[in-house]
Amino acid sequence: MSEQEDLEQRLARIAGATDALRPSAGFGARVMAAIDHAPPPSFLETTWLSARRLLPVAALAAAMAVVWAVQVDGTVDDELATSYSSIEYASLELE
Amino acid sequence: MDTLEKAVDRVLSGDRSAFQQIVDATSQKLVRLGARIMGNQADAEDVVQEAYVKAYRALSAGEFDRRSSTNTWLYRIVVNGAIDAKRTQKRRAEASDEQIDPGWDGAARAEARLALSELDDWLQALPPEQRAALVLQSMEGLNNTEIAQVMGVSEGAVEQRLVRARASLRQKREQS
Repeated sequence: MSEQEDLEQRLARIAGATDALRPSAGFGARVMAAIDHAPPPSFLETTWLSARRLLPVAALAAAMAVVWAVQVDGTVDDELATSYSSIEYASLELE
Repeated sequence: MDTLEKAVDRVLSGDRSAFQQIVDATSQKLVRLGARIMGNQADAEDVVQEAYVKAYRALSAGEFDRRSSTNTWLYRIVVNGAIDAKRTQKRRAEASDEQIDPGWDGAARAEARLALSELDDWLQALPPEQRAALVLQSMEGLNNTEIAQVMGVSEGAVEQRLVRARASLRQKREQS
């Protein structure tokens, strides 16, 4: 590196010097052999991948559960209010 | 559809031998990228080999959703693998690259080895994410949008990494 060479020039020079890089002899064959001998995915990997696929379904189910809970809560409130009114009405009648 | 995408289609339909075509079409670019991040060819070949195994598994399991191009997807696997390896790396002995059979021109190889060694020493102090972003932009010629896709971060995060990387290198130069 010369005194005058700035950062970008140095990066460009090194990029040029490494442009001709290529895999060593037999690299492709080693890759295919590694693929053939790679152990099957572990239980944890399989579980994680399956869980990741189910994530959108789980999110949708959770959203639907919240909507259902809010609706049911409203219905229960209405029913409670109705029943309290009935009790009050019945009490008045008894009096 | 280009040859690479056709080869991916064949692997997706269960033709294992088509993966060899993917390796042949992409290994030079990926090993060069890996070497520029790792700082030597031997480590780069380990990272790229592991990346191909992961890619093959993903293709076989139908996990490649094609939201990005095959090239971008492979770049992403290699960059992530190289960043992980760089974090945990104990530097290899200087002689490690001499032990592999180059299979290409000796003079150009010697020049490339020297340049990689210079690059590795120069970028040694940078965190692996900044180093990878700088290599992708200044040596691989990717723009910030492409780097963001490869690294799986926002363009703002890419810009921040590049600014910090350059600031660190300038500061290092001023101190020396």
